[in-house]
Amino acid sequence: MLRRIVFAVVAIGLVACATYASFYVAPEERTMGAIQRIFYFHASTAWAGETTFFVCFVANLLYIWKRKPQYDWLGLACAEVGAACITVVLVTGPIWAKPVWGIWWTWDARLTSTFVLWILYICYLLLRTLLDEPERRALLSALFGVFAFIDVPIVFGAIRWWRTQHPAPVIMGGPGSGLDPVMKKVFFFNVLAMHVFAGFLIAERYYLEKTRHGVELLQREAEAR
Amino acid sequence: MALLSNAAVLVGKEVRTEFRSRELLSTTIVFVLVVVVVFSFTFDPTSSESRRFGPGLLWMAFLFAASLMLQPCFLREQTADTLTALRLAVEDPFAIFLAKIAANTLFLLLMELLMLPVFAALFNVSFAAQLPAILLTFFLGSLGISVVGTALAAISAQARMRELLLPLLLLPLLTPVLVVSTEVTIRLMQAEPYLEWRGIGLMAAFDAVFLTVLWLFGEYFLEE
Amino acid sequence: MKNLNSIFAAYMIGWGVFFLFFLSVVKRSADLRDEVERLKRSAFKEK
Repeated sequence: MLRRIVFAVVAIGLVACATYASFYVAPEERTMGAIQRIFYFHASTAWAGETTFFVCFVANLLYIWKRKPQYDWLGLACAEVGAACITVVLVTGPIWAKPVWGIWWTWDARLTSTFVLWILYICYLLLRTLLDEPERRALLSALFGVFAFIDVPIVFGAIRWWRTQHPAPVIMGGPGSGLDPVMKKVFFFNVLAMHVFAGFLIAERYYLEKTRHGVELLQREAEAR
Repeated sequence: MALLSNAAVLVGKEVRTEFRSRELLSTTIVFVLVVVVVFSFTFDPTSSESRRFGPGLLWMAFLFAASLMLQPCFLREQTADTLTALRLAVEDPFAIFLAKIAANTLFLLLMELLMLPVFAALFNVSFAAQLPAILLTFFLGSLGISVVGTALAAISAQARMRELLLPLLLLPLLTPVLVVSTEVTIRLMQAEPYLEWRGIGLMAAFDAVFLTVLWLFGEYFLEE
Repeated sequence: MKNLNSIFAAYMIGWGVFFLFFLSVVKRSADLRDEVERLKRSAFKEK
């Protein structure tokens, strides 16, 4: 319990510092003005979401290989937290884009594949609710998770090729592109903070799943008696 | 090689089972026709519009039809309880998948080739000059749909709400197939047609990647 | 500050999503605890 509280405090502390840095340490961007600061939150959450999905992929592979329920709990926790991260990305992106570019959305490679990634992880979570038997649920959702993770880079590549045929505005150029050194430091500090925060959420969700598993066992025992 | 000969025998079984009643094929073909007709009401089917939207709607119709056609793939085995027998009959469970993928690709291709002249007539596009290229495109696209669709059919057969689940899981995963096949087909049906080799390469890569993933993980889909 | 509303909205909604997620985890934990209490009580009754 103490560990969880310490983790929470560290995570929230880091995020608070990172947000402060985004507003008061990072210099103002020349063309866009203050609204560019959304980028620190938006892009760092996107990176944290991608790491989370990678961990989910590894957890899925480990479950298929070892069949220990802990890997299933980790995969589920990562999928939920990852979906939350990408939701934030998909919401903050358009809020930034509208005042700057005049459009909420464009179907470029990065946005489209992010949207498909989000949909795939919602499908993963939905699939889990439709499978009743715990071991079957863990295995089949892990297999779907593997398919989904492998598909996303292919989706990105296919849409990027498609976009060479039908060019469209590309919003939010890459994070490293021509960043001022102070901005870069603030950005990477935000990336660290969001990773720790995502880790905290994953830990809490994992703990919930572990508890739920224990309660299920108790229930089965009670029914058996 | 035992894997291929087992798969070959099983493909024969799949095709024979389907051709006994032909209900799946005939229903799918009519469904694709209905989808194409209904979709065509959503835009003005003049010649230039047809060339732009036609191939996209054709592939969407194929995808919808496939996501319904693939349902019985494993459900048939479930109701007749033949999956255990199949697993005992072959050493490598991947043979079962290979057979179903081959059969499904064949059925999809049949449906697409029957649909092609109808589509050409309804939308005034010509394709005769590019027939081999179109065949290649349809084959690679159908293979991609079958590989991923058969794997997901194995998953959804074990879940609730399977009629809705299979299309739901399949369509996002098949985004690359849809995007690339449509683009290649547009290029093959335009005024100066040509085969977009990079698109073909992307489709072949998609098929190869997922066939490999299924080869690595196939047995787990069929676990009891 | 130019576009202050947008930055404010983005941060509020963004953190709102995370907060709602955390709330759902907390609520599910509370439900689990209630379930454990219920099980304990029924086991106690049996004895």
